[in-house]
Amino acid sequence: MTTEDMATEQDTTADDDGTDSLITTDPGKGGLDENADSGTVASAGTVIESRDLDVFYGETRALQDIALQIPENQVTAMIGPSGCGKSTFLRCINRMNDLIDICRVEGELTFSGKNVYDDDVDPVALRRRIGMVFQHPNPFPKSIYDNVAYGLRTQDKTDDMDEVIEESLKKAALWDEVKDRLDDSALDLSGGQQQRLCIARAIAVDPEVVLMDEPASALDPIATSQIEDLIEDLAEEYTVVIVTHNMQQAARISDKTAVFLTGGELVEFDDTDKIFENPESERVEDYITGKFG
Amino acid sequence: MATETDTGFGQVSRVRGIAFKGISFAASVVGILALAVLLAYVFWDAFGLAEAGTTWYLAYTATLLVPLLGFVAYARTRPTVAAGAFELFGFTLAGGMLTFATIIVFLVIAGPQVWFTYFLTVLAPFLGLYLYGQYDREATWVGLGMLGALVVGPIVGTLALGILGTAAALLGAPGVYFLTLVLPGAGLAAFLAADQFGLSRRRAAAVGAVIPVVAIAGVPVVDQYPAVARSVWFVIVVMFAIPVGYALGNTASQRERWPAFALPVIVIGGFLLGEFVVGALGASQPEPWLDWQFLTAAPSRIAAQAGLYPAIIGSVFLIVLVALFTFVFGVGTALYLEEYAPSSGPLGTATRLINVNISNLAGVPSVVYGLLGLGIFVNIRVDVGPVVYAGLGAGTVLAGALTLSLLILPIVVISAQEAIRSVPDSLRQAAYGMGATRWQTIRSVVIPRSLPGILTGTILALGRAIGETAPLIMIAAADTRYSPPGGLFERLTAMPMQIYTWAFLPQDAFRYGVVAAGVVTLLIVLLSMNSVAILVRNKYQQEAY
Repeated sequence: MTTEDMATEQDTTADDDGTDSLITTDPGKGGLDENADSGTVASAGTVIESRDLDVFYGETRALQDIALQIPENQVTAMIGPSGCGKSTFLRCINRMNDLIDICRVEGELTFSGKNVYDDDVDPVALRRRIGMVFQHPNPFPKSIYDNVAYGLRTQDKTDDMDEVIEESLKKAALWDEVKDRLDDSALDLSGGQQQRLCIARAIAVDPEVVLMDEPASALDPIATSQIEDLIEDLAEEYTVVIVTHNMQQAARISDKTAVFLTGGELVEFDDTDKIFENPESERVEDYITGKFG
Repeated sequence: MATETDTGFGQVSRVRGIAFKGISFAASVVGILALAVLLAYVFWDAFGLAEAGTTWYLAYTATLLVPLLGFVAYARTRPTVAAGAFELFGFTLAGGMLTFATIIVFLVIAGPQVWFTYFLTVLAPFLGLYLYGQYDREATWVGLGMLGALVVGPIVGTLALGILGTAAALLGAPGVYFLTLVLPGAGLAAFLAADQFGLSRRRAAAVGAVIPVVAIAGVPVVDQYPAVARSVWFVIVVMFAIPVGYALGNTASQRERWPAFALPVIVIGGFLLGEFVVGALGASQPEPWLDWQFLTAAPSRIAAQAGLYPAIIGSVFLIVLVALFTFVFGVGTALYLEEYAPSSGPLGTATRLINVNISNLAGVPSVVYGLLGLGIFVNIRVDVGPVVYAGLGAGTVLAGALTLSLLILPIVVISAQEAIRSVPDSLRQAAYGMGATRWQTIRSVVIPRSLPGILTGTILALGRAIGETAPLIMIAAADTRYSPPGGLFERLTAMPMQIYTWAFLPQDAFRYGVVAAGVVTLLIVLLSMNSVAILVRNKYQQEAY
């Protein structure tokens, strides 16, 4: 309880002075300088970087020695067969795995140069800077307005709320469809609209990263293509990390692709074009060409 | 000619299935029949139906029963009409219960001075902040202010009881209830008119103004009837007229629901017509034991003058306190166990142990709880230095309420846990994913979604508490009281206690007539509470998916 309250305070102060630091950190330690040395895909703007990341569910090892760098303002896709740990990796980034009692994380995962698994990192404060969209649309059983306002209210960002909500709905390409019925229940929307509402809800609080866990897998093809267009637009402003089952989707919308294969290992991580046209690993090629998975 | 057995698909035996269907049907029929026989038996005695002649039955069958059955047959195939009729009936019932409860709680138990004090210190700040929060959606301090009003308000109120009580005495009881019920009621009506029926501001304000105008205009009329005090009239105007007016307005605004208005017309018209016909024919009428006199008089040695009034007040007093205790402690416990308590490791084992214990406690007989109440609230003396706790007194309101609270607490906890568990995990994940703290998630997602289930479970558990006799006997509640309890530390009697006492009196009139009237009163209160629980559940189930 007390740690959560402290996090709220810390978060507000961070917002006030406009700094990016999650918690005041020593600039010399960690951060971008190290990325250049260790990164295989060195990129100037790496936001999230993992090194030797292992995740266990009880005794089962779900991820093994994951090392990758997620670049800023680009779409990074994670593909792989079911149970390969791609969703687990996504949930490590904003520490949603903390909610699972038996889950244990080892290794390092840095966000803005700070290891998010350090003891002084508050997961709630972290999640306020990393938005998340889930597989099944999960709007709250409240009005459309209140759904988008949810994050703003929980984070005390209630200045100009009407404008922020309109802006977020516009960014999520939903404004024209709902502007006349903001007080209607969000559950009256169609599945695709609900998912775009969830995206609007996630970006209303202006996060730096948006995590998407198979956001289109429960939607029909038209709604899927709307979501895909939206993701490409979002990448201009946000860093997008998307988990998908659908390889064509990854090929269409992502700049970088990480291929996870059974056993929780990251087999290849590279530019999307290279992964799909000329992958280095034979297993990746087999997976992409549909020999298995 | 090919044999028929070869061409067919053959037969699969259904004998067992048909037998099972028959047995389960018979079981349900036995249950319904038993209930019907019980109701018929007590209603027969309570309303003195034996005295009524055939003419009376025929008259009411023709004027009331046949049209009513006709309406049911008509509405059966028309869901909108049935829904409208159900809403009219439900809101009238709820309005009646609300009026009844308000009169007892605010007028009889609390009295104008206490009510006025706590209205000013607790309710008015709370409601004011809530309304401000609705108007200014960006003010996040409002919630904290409301909590503050709930915590600080009662303390301030208790300290200021003398001064504000004097002020209330100067205003007079009708003045107090006009200020605290009629005026806020007018605001509520105006809000409902604008919010639910989309009326313009001016027309909504006019709708709101109707309530105080009617309240004042009715005063000279009400003064003609000494049985109805002005304060009671104000309560009726607010608590009965608003729900009924809402239901009427809602039905009137949907054209396809208009036939539902036939229901009140049939009931009221049929009743009046029946009265007229019976009077004209001079038919012998029933001689009910359950009448206005029975509800408003104190017990008496003469059966015809006996009444249930002190016991009704005692029961309502108990229920209000039990509802308060069980809701606060029961829902708190359920929220902790479901949302905070660790579910793995050694502490998780402790949590599971507690859960199993609560389930077991729900099955402990009520007489055991009575013994517990006797032990810790009555027959106890603890000396801690200068502080002496010597119990709460034998058979006092507080001792009874706490004992009954202990009795139903496990049931409330279990039903609240079920309701909390039914909140989809995806909603919790959504809230956590937005950077909500655990408390924010519980407040904004878990509680709103589970509240209907929690309320339903609590109301049903309260229904059990209101009918309990054994724990009250164990803590030495009074068999019979001639005046209602006036405070927390006065001895009380409750409806089941009084009925139990009457059932052992030597006179037949008590054992049959008066007891039946008491049982019917108790049943009406219980069934009304259950219907309100069902209404709450239906209303919110429609809204949540």
